[in-house]
Amino acid sequence: MTNPVKVMIVDDHPMVAEGIQSILESYDDIQVVGCLSNGRAAIDQFEALDPDVILMDLNMPDVGGLSATEIVLERRPDMRIVILSMHDNPEYISSALSHGAMGYILKDVPTDEIKLAIDQVMQGQRYLCTGAQGSLEPKDTAREALTEREQTILLELAQGRANKEVAAILDISVRTVETHRKNIKRKLGISSTAGLTRYAMEHGVLQGTGVRI
Amino acid sequence: MRRLFSRLAPTYAQKLTLLAAVPLVLAVAGIAIVVALQAKALADREINTLENQLIAAKKVELRNYVTQARNGFYFVYGSASPQDDAAKAQVTQILSAMIYGDEGQFFVYDFDGTALVSPRETDRINRNFSGETDSSGTPVVNELIRIARDGGGYHTYLWRKPSTGVEAQMITYVTSFPSWRWAVGTGVFIDDILSSVASARADVLARVQRTFLYIGAITLAALFLVFGTGMLVNLRERRLADAKLKKLTQRVFDAQEEERGRVARELHDGISQILVGVRYALENARRRLDRGDRRAADPLGKGIDSLGQAISEVRRISRDLRPGVLDDLGLGPALKTLVDEFSARTGIACQFNTVVFRNRLDNDAKIALYRIAQEALTNIERHAGASKVIVDLRGHRQGATLEISDNGRGIYGGIQSSGGLGLRNMQERMDQLGGTLSLVAAQGGGTRIKATVPLTHLLPPESSLTTPAPNS
Repeated sequence: MTNPVKVMIVDDHPMVAEGIQSILESYDDIQVVGCLSNGRAAIDQFEALDPDVILMDLNMPDVGGLSATEIVLERRPDMRIVILSMHDNPEYISSALSHGAMGYILKDVPTDEIKLAIDQVMQGQRYLCTGAQGSLEPKDTAREALTEREQTILLELAQGRANKEVAAILDISVRTVETHRKNIKRKLGISSTAGLTRYAMEHGVLQGTGVRI
Repeated sequence: MRRLFSRLAPTYAQKLTLLAAVPLVLAVAGIAIVVALQAKALADREINTLENQLIAAKKVELRNYVTQARNGFYFVYGSASPQDDAAKAQVTQILSAMIYGDEGQFFVYDFDGTALVSPRETDRINRNFSGETDSSGTPVVNELIRIARDGGGYHTYLWRKPSTGVEAQMITYVTSFPSWRWAVGTGVFIDDILSSVASARADVLARVQRTFLYIGAITLAALFLVFGTGMLVNLRERRLADAKLKKLTQRVFDAQEEERGRVARELHDGISQILVGVRYALENARRRLDRGDRRAADPLGKGIDSLGQAISEVRRISRDLRPGVLDDLGLGPALKTLVDEFSARTGIACQFNTVVFRNRLDNDAKIALYRIAQEALTNIERHAGASKVIVDLRGHRQGATLEISDNGRGIYGGIQSSGGLGLRNMQERMDQLGGTLSLVAAQGGGTRIKATVPLTHLLPPESSLTTPAPNS
């Protein structure tokens, strides 16, 4: 028999977290390694708990599920993260995917689906809850939106900070910042850092902000 | 910032009243001073003239007396020798008898200063008064003799009134009988003139004061009028404002009640009923389990299905009250959802454009712009008869602008005159944020609504850092 799949649950509602935990524990091939109540705890502890899959609630105070997902993935790009949500809105789903989640399930789907999702992402496939599939084809007309992390980094870069400084501020590697920067430029269709600053200026993101230009 | 205006700062009405009152008071004060000065100057001039005239008249009178007396004695004096004591005695006698009025008398001093005639103060006769001065130090007898020797003239000094013994100012005319070495004259007290002049002056002063009082009273009345009117106007304005506020509050209450009623109905008619159904199903399952009935799974399954329904119902109600996507993902995704749902519901083609920044607006601005978009789309659905709608949201150097344009009938077929509450709400929302709302006819028919919030509602880059900073 293969090793059980290690699952970490992150949800600020204890009832929900416990419910999911008890359901998952009824499966022999799943082991719940941790039950955390917010995004910051997830970021701080996931490396120690070393799960295979993280079930992450979307709405949490302080550090939300999307930000936590991005930051976890910066450190462990191969981490499989499934977003748990009460919202069936397609905007949430595409947002979850653009932040790097591998799955998105509604909390009120039959609990079998949670198991199904875990199995599927363990095989390296995306899992999206029933009913959501249709709405998530990437919109080819609109520009791809920046993720929370990318936006943070764009603002830092636009204020004239170097990759190294940004990396120090956000406590990530310079290489990660470079990857983000590349993605930002690709998404915005801008090739230079000056262009990024100008772009931020022209959209009012740097003004009235205490940043002197 | 406008709200921070000091509590001491006057209201608009108070400023207006002050603006009316201060110049009034200044002008009246100026007029009063000028009038008083002029009146006083005029009165002074008149009083001085009068005083001079009175005194001049007295002087003429005195000189006439003296001249008359000298002429009267000329037949004695003119034919007598300087040593003719009989003639001197005769003249002395007659002069002594020539008393008049209460105080009037003639006096004679010889050039050495000896009093020869003094009918009202007989104790002075034959005594020498050379060097005598009055109480203020003015030389009297020597001066009289000097004036007489010089050919005659006037002298003014203080003298005791023979009748009362009170000192008063006196004018004297003196001339000489040179061969007898006599100084002969008579004087009058001018204290009556001086006192009447003084009382005239006091009169004038009193009149000036009275004028001041009148002007003051009139000014006070005018001020009362100004302040009273100001207060009345103020009161009226406030009452109007109160009424307006009351109406607005009522509207807010109405809207709130309506909303509450709707939510209560949905909770009761929808979710409560579903949950009651779930309860029945669960109880049914338990009864079956108690009886060992194997078909307990049927009602359980039904209950679970119904619970799912209840959850989605709650989700719908919650989203209608306030779309979570607005708080979680920002205005862009919220508008995108709104637009997609609008398209799906109405079949009107709807396009949404935005820049890629997310969550850059503060909460107030997000909600306001979202509600404006909602209201605008509702209006378009109801009134515009449009087939295409474009919603555009973007940040720029002055702030952020939401633009909604359609190709319908234009200004919603004139709804702003009839049911313009929605537009007014939009306007009020923007006013609240210091933003602007414009409503124009789009090119080629249709309507374009443009809502702009100022830069102050755009969040600084730092505050969007939802990422943890482990090092700090």
